[in-house]
Amino acid sequence: MSRTLTIDHVTRIEGHAKITVELDDEGRVADARFHVTQVRGFEKFVEGRPYYEMPAITARICGICPVSHLLASVKACDEIMAVRIPEPAQLLRQLLHCAQFVQSHALSFFYLSAPDLLLGMDGDPAARNVVGLAQKHPELARDGIALRKFGQQAIERLAGERVHPSWTVPGGVNKPLAAEDRDFILGELPIARSIARRTLKFFRGALDRYRDEIEHFGNQSTRYAALTGVDGNFAIYDGLLRFKDADGNLLATVKRPADYARWIGEATMPGTYLKAPYFKPVGYPAGIYRVGPLARLNVAEQCGTPEADAELAEYRQRFGRMPRSAFLFHYARLIEALYCIERMEQLLEEPDILSPHVRATAGVNALEGVGIAEAPRGVLIHHYRVDEQGAIRWANLIIATGHNNLAIRQSVKQVAERYLDGRQLTEGMLNRVQAVVRAFDPCLSCSTHALGLPPLEIRLLSAAGEVLHAVKV
Amino acid sequence: MAAKKPKLAVWKFASCDGCQLSILDCEDELLTVASAVDIAYFPEATRAATRGPYDLSLVEGSITTPHDAERIHQVRRQSRYLVTIGACATAGGIQALRNFRDVKRFLSIVYARPDYIETLSKSTPIAEHVFVDYELRGCPVNKYQLLEVISALLNQRKPVIPNHAVCVECKLRQHVCVMVARGTPCLGPATQAGCGALCPGYARGCYGCFGPKESANPPALSAGLVRLGVTEDGLVRAFRSFNAAADVFRRESELHERPNP
Ligand code: SF4
Ligand code: SF4
Repeated sequence: MSRTLTIDHVTRIEGHAKITVELDDEGRVADARFHVTQVRGFEKFVEGRPYYEMPAITARICGICPVSHLLASVKACDEIMAVRIPEPAQLLRQLLHCAQFVQSHALSFFYLSAPDLLLGMDGDPAARNVVGLAQKHPELARDGIALRKFGQQAIERLAGERVHPSWTVPGGVNKPLAAEDRDFILGELPIARSIARRTLKFFRGALDRYRDEIEHFGNQSTRYAALTGVDGNFAIYDGLLRFKDADGNLLATVKRPADYARWIGEATMPGTYLKAPYFKPVGYPAGIYRVGPLARLNVAEQCGTPEADAELAEYRQRFGRMPRSAFLFHYARLIEALYCIERMEQLLEEPDILSPHVRATAGVNALEGVGIAEAPRGVLIHHYRVDEQGAIRWANLIIATGHNNLAIRQSVKQVAERYLDGRQLTEGMLNRVQAVVRAFDPCLSCSTHALGLPPLEIRLLSAAGEVLHAVKV
Repeated sequence: MAAKKPKLAVWKFASCDGCQLSILDCEDELLTVASAVDIAYFPEATRAATRGPYDLSLVEGSITTPHDAERIHQVRRQSRYLVTIGACATAGGIQALRNFRDVKRFLSIVYARPDYIETLSKSTPIAEHVFVDYELRGCPVNKYQLLEVISALLNQRKPVIPNHAVCVECKLRQHVCVMVARGTPCLGPATQAGCGALCPGYARGCYGCFGPKESANPPALSAGLVRLGVTEDGLVRAFRSFNAAADVFRRESELHERPNP
């Protein structure tokens, strides 16, 4: 008989999901799966819509990183128009993207992770939030709110609205940057930079407390994929998608966005809406790779801005050239936030940044377009096919949590193999499963563009598919 | 005076999280709001889950699964006031585009094993399932309107939210009318204000993300759009976006749909 036991709710991963662990006839762990069981259906209902509506529609996939969807989408649309967008528009889009990384990383670090990290996993759950943080570490909470606000305000100055900016359009952007807005962002920048510096210093000081977590949270040997500049340095808006193995050897460079399908295959797994992309030369299911902050820092040679590079050097000195632990996402995010702030300053000081030439116009000149950008959680791919009139005939979206799907499955399986006790899901195992899933920071708004899922549910299935035990966490 | 703080809960159905994140966007007001209410349930921001009943429930997202269709009744039972936030909760959201398609078919094209997934054929607004005390529009909502609704309901008064058209906001901000001056199609005349005429401010037409305004007259607007060269298909798409399932927009889009697709 299956027994259902309900413990705490998995909160603060954005969205919810379900995990199953399947046993074989001998009662050993046969497989594990990460399910997303609801769908909003973007890829299908956009069929027939004109391509230039795609940025606004796909921005509604996720309210956490709408800017990444916007940018991947407009880049795909630029290809359909076959235009090279004006240089100032490139700069402005990059600026917007950096601002969104700052706000999203601030949200992730200060609002979602810091309460656990600083108030202790065993602290009173009712106080483990940004408000509880404000009581115990008021400076840190204030910094977190201020840093997110910096990013959000920059987005607002550029794009008018924070959740779903409507300023980014195919061919460029639709309004130049005003001198006053540039000066405003530049004026706020030093504060943001000192917050990022302070937080990094603070985090480094606290690292020793997490030795155990660093060792055990998603400490997997996988491949990594991330965008890089042509020089191999860190890039989030545009560049070449590269794959590296766990030891840092370059496996592949995707020269043109449209070639992604030569390197990335997409498997579907029963029972989940989340597809499972894999590294094609290795095949499914062995072709596991990870994307996200850890992968970006591993794939990049350098960041390319002075302070972030110094931080990166220190990080690599502590954890090696190719760190593996998903716990280091937190650390990597802070370095990236610092990079983005520095990069914003560089961009704002470009002589062309106020130029009125920000948009190229054209009709449909190509029937296919692919846009690849980094989202805060990793590589995001938008791929559209259109008819001669520009109506979408087919669309494919590969989101960060998708790329990580196989890695999540592998780490859940490892945890299950190690901690599963007979036919029951024990508390010890559940905590660890939750922890590894959380470490991937899955965004289920994006995952198959679904949301409104039930809370994380973990199920243990026998070889015959019978539910032995189910737990909602 | 140590009055008990009102309990606030935030619920999520099919949505993008954008509307509830607007609460966190109230940076300056965030800690003030948090000290005035007891945030009893808000999975996005806190692990705490205090039992109901709640004085105020904010509901984001539309109903798309049988499970959610039941869950919304539980939310209603535990809530003194229930407010929907955003186009998803108020009008089914962008995912309501599926209401005009055969869901079974499109699920099987995108996903290998559609049999596992339980989904309803339609994405429906919360008010089709339970009584809603107030509906806040927008995709996403305007954070100041959200603060106004929270404070109004907690103080037992009616929220002061304008229900005139986006056009009025354009005039207030002295934007040049994109339709008259540039011939750009715009849904502003039929759309409820609240965004500060954001899109016209960027020389774009409004695409109706705040949904129909009170006593909107879409047929008159459609006639105007046709004069600007919008086709019948274009009209269908214009009214069929983020508020596709809002009655007034749905009817207008269906009027222009060709009988045999
Ligand atoms: S109404 Fe728009 S912003 Fe709000 S949750 Fe729905 S899609 Fe997101
Ligand atoms: S102008 Fe229209 S589409 Fe644009 S934000 Fe306002 S209501 Fe939404």
